Amino acid sequence: MLRIENLSFRYGRHGPLALRGVSLELADGEIGVLLGKNGSGKTTLFKNILGLCTPLCGAILLDGADVARMSRQERAARIAYVPQDIRFGALSVFDSVLMGRVARFGLRAGPEDCAAVERILAQMRLESVARQNVQRLSGGERQKVAIARALAQEPRLMVLDEPTGNLDIANQQLFCRQVRALAARGIAVLVSLHDLNQALRLGERFFCLKDGAIRYGGPKEQLDADAIFDVFGARVRIIRHEGETIILGGETP
Amino acid sequence: MRTADGPKKTAAIAALAMCVAAAAFLCLFVGASGMSPGECLAALARTSERASDVRIVWNIRMPRVLAALLAGAGLSLSGLIMQTVLGNAMASPSTLGVSNAAVFGANLSILAFVGGFVSTGNNLQNYAAGINPYAASLTAFAFSMLSALLVLGLCTRRAFSPGVVVLAGVAMGSVWTAGTTLLQFYATDVGLSAAVIWNFGDLGRATYRTDAIMAAVVLPSAAFFCLMAWRFNALLSGDAAARSMGVDVGGLRFLSLLICSLITAVCVSFLGIIGFVGIICPHVTKKLLGQDHRFATPASALSGSLLLLLADTLSRSMGGGSALPVGAVTTLLGAPFFAAIVLSRREAG
Repeated sequence: MLRIENLSFRYGRHGPLALRGVSLELADGEIGVLLGKNGSGKTTLFKNILGLCTPLCGAILLDGADVARMSRQERAARIAYVPQDIRFGALSVFDSVLMGRVARFGLRAGPEDCAAVERILAQMRLESVARQNVQRLSGGERQKVAIARALAQEPRLMVLDEPTGNLDIANQQLFCRQVRALAARGIAVLVSLHDLNQALRLGERFFCLKDGAIRYGGPKEQLDADAIFDVFGARVRIIRHEGETIILGGETP
Repeated sequence: MRTADGPKKTAAIAALAMCVAAAAFLCLFVGASGMSPGECLAALARTSERASDVRIVWNIRMPRVLAALLAGAGLSLSGLIMQTVLGNAMASPSTLGVSNAAVFGANLSILAFVGGFVSTGNNLQNYAAGINPYAASLTAFAFSMLSALLVLGLCTRRAFSPGVVVLAGVAMGSVWTAGTTLLQFYATDVGLSAAVIWNFGDLGRATYRTDAIMAAVVLPSAAFFCLMAWRFNALLSGDAAARSMGVDVGGLRFLSLLICSLITAVCVSFLGIIGFVGIICPHVTKKLLGQDHRFATPASALSGSLLLLLADTLSRSMGGGSALPVGAVTTLLGAPFFAAIVLSRREAG
């Protein structure tokens, strides 16, 4: 379980606060969606969770353990990250996924690491391209490889930053299925998305950031047009029909 | 270990190693002395009746071949790692201004302290006679490391951001080049020619002592780079991704830049400027074997040794008794091959 308590952060000594008293909770196997305008603090929050930044105050607890006190290896074994800008060297798919275990194996991968990678490639249906150069794959396939690499870390929490920005509709649907599969394995998933409809289809718990502060945190059933207007400054209509929730865009005042 | 083309790549590296060993052996037979292969073999086995042949093979050619093996491997490795940790295909062993600083240091030693405009006597003759053969090398090394440490020191403020490191290196290199120009402007004709000749890469300056020093730097560095292969692979995914996989990106970048600069400083200080090995060989290796550092690291080292061995042998064969500048021959030999490889559509997995 991820619990963030009263987290604040600023870039530099005298910069403005990029995060202001952020608190949130995400249970194991739950999919949390982080919403907010560009520059609202989503990526900064991710950097703090990943230990890439040192918070000004507050705490990030994963299964009760303070992330700030974990070693790099401990953190990598519990928290995996799929960045917005997915990059790979000219390596095979197998090796690219194996790389996710570098914190576990240290200098040289062992048979158990290779076995874990083969298992993950089978789960992600990537066996057929395992020996291909990852740079030759399509955008959707590369994203699958990035998720597989994150899975190879055997994390308790997976953080995904704007993962669907460059995907077509088929790959977006594939991505949603993959994320649900991760959650079904008990992994807590925190994902930032710009597409509100996709966010509603995927997410179970929503956190809306504005100016570094959480303006709304709760289940999707309670997410309403006023909360969206507050965060994005855009008027929308929310339609609930046969269990589906759809957001229709409106005029921005 | 299951890796795409892993056995093929291992076989390619083994073949390359055999080529290097064969080239190193054959290079012992080439030189201006006109020894026949049989005489060379006898000299190599120390069974030759002529003591001069034994001296030529063991005291001149052998240190030279060892220098080519070590400097070629060191400069190529340095280029590969610089390109990886800075995420810049144009990064080279002297990206931190190391070579420019070495040239400045050597010029300062030759022109100012030994035989130039503040000459106090016939010091240039002393330099030429080899009375103080390491003066220029030591000064070159001191300024090389000063340059590297200054750039790295400045970049600690920006957490070794690759763009900042490259720009700081370019700026620092320009400062040393400007200093060299000023030194040369005030130099005497004789001092200037001595300084320019120092700048030409020359493996003929190598001795067993300089080879031992180069080996003490290059071999442990190569072992370290091989051990860190997975971490360098992780860096190819970007800093944030590498950090999330548990890699100490800042520490690895700092240590790698320092080691690469040390290798370059040692090689350039003893042998002069040997350009392009650090760019040609890593790129050709990556193009043919891929970016996986488990393979690219040993292959780059071996290809650097091979290129420098061949270039040095060619420079000795073509110079009509005096060796041509090996740096120029390296570039002339490697550039067409480099262009052909880079322009080809072949991509290794």
